[in-house]
Amino acid sequence: MRLRDPEAMNDLVSYLLRSGVLLSSGIITLGAVLALAKYGSLSTSAFFVYLPNQIPHGTFNVSFSGILSGLAILDPFSIIELGVVVLLATPVARVLLSVFLFAAEGDRLYVYVTIVVLALLLFGILVTPLIPLFNA
Amino acid sequence: MLAVEFILIMFLASILAGAIGAIVGLGGGFVVIPVLTIGLGVDIHFAIGASIVSIIATSSGAAVTYVKDKLTNMRLGMFLEIATTSGAIAGAAISAYTNSMVLEIVFGAALLISLVPLVMKIGEDIPPIPELRGLAKRLSLKGSYKELDGSQINYNATRPGLGLVGMVAAGMISGLLGIGSGSFKVLSMDLAMKLPMKVSSTTSNFMIGVTAAASAGIYYARGDVNPLIVAPVTLGILIGAFIGTRILLRTRNPVVRKLFAVVLALTAIEMVLRAFGL
Repeated sequence: MRLRDPEAMNDLVSYLLRSGVLLSSGIITLGAVLALAKYGSLSTSAFFVYLPNQIPHGTFNVSFSGILSGLAILDPFSIIELGVVVLLATPVARVLLSVFLFAAEGDRLYVYVTIVVLALLLFGILVTPLIPLFNA
Repeated sequence: MLAVEFILIMFLASILAGAIGAIVGLGGGFVVIPVLTIGLGVDIHFAIGASIVSIIATSSGAAVTYVKDKLTNMRLGMFLEIATTSGAIAGAAISAYTNSMVLEIVFGAALLISLVPLVMKIGEDIPPIPELRGLAKRLSLKGSYKELDGSQINYNATRPGLGLVGMVAAGMISGLLGIGSGSFKVLSMDLAMKLPMKVSSTTSNFMIGVTAAASAGIYYARGDVNPLIVAPVTLGILIGAFIGTRILLRTRNPVVRKLFAVVLALTAIEMVLRAFGL
């Protein structure tokens, strides 16, 4: 892998996107099949209860520890959420790799531009959920 | 409704959403949200959570093809993404203190008005190439791609400042209303920066994924991303996006623009209807 070759970097971005998409769709398919087997003949109304006065608003796990313990017992919804997390990671990984892609092309200006975008993105994903202002 | 029926309906609707979204540079929320709320009676918050995930699925699913074919202009997308991600974060912060009905009417009206210049150049294939100067030159906002007949299309961007203003607006709308606002992104690139339609739609396709990811954390933590809804939506969208990219590569710019205009009109009407609670 020659990191200084823009063509090779472009192939790497394409390869990474394909792997991320395939991995996430594989995990979600597994979760969906298990959900169909377990809940397929139940009414959807039980799963679509929206609780406006509490966080989280849904009746399913959103914490990482909750998802991890769900995975251990093959809980369909925890498996689906793991797949969603992998999917959410693909745009971040793409921006991260673009930093190296522009570096390989020797384009300093766009290395900086991309680092700014990456910083904003990570701030949005990791920091804003912790700020009460964003959680009303 | 039984869960098995729900999953099947959302899976099929999402294939359609992903295919159209991948062609015109939108996220698929314009199909997913009304099918969920109007069609299946799901709470709007869950619909928006599913829409955010569907945007990322359309973007990453279509990008697998578009990166390889070098249709997406990564420099252009990355430069504009500074404006959209900051706009999206600001929008998400003030969304708690604003009336979404007013926003939806304003956004719907803005989309309807922008149909006019779009329709005026409806038959345009490749825009006249403007001279590359000023900020656009310093940022090397130019590029080229191969058409299906093998001809090389070169293009330059113009008025990057105006494009940037459009993108801040697109980002704010995205954060405020929980939509991808690919429509505003395509419009900014098409009308302000005068890029070929396919470059606008595929670059928007890259951008909506990044913008949506910036606000996805908030929706996820709030518990708006419902697994039973997003599973069939994500799988359907990914299949649809794959089909859509194959269609785009074989389609000429004027056809893409016509399809975009139709989708834009429908989105605008939908937005106004939603504002009035329909």
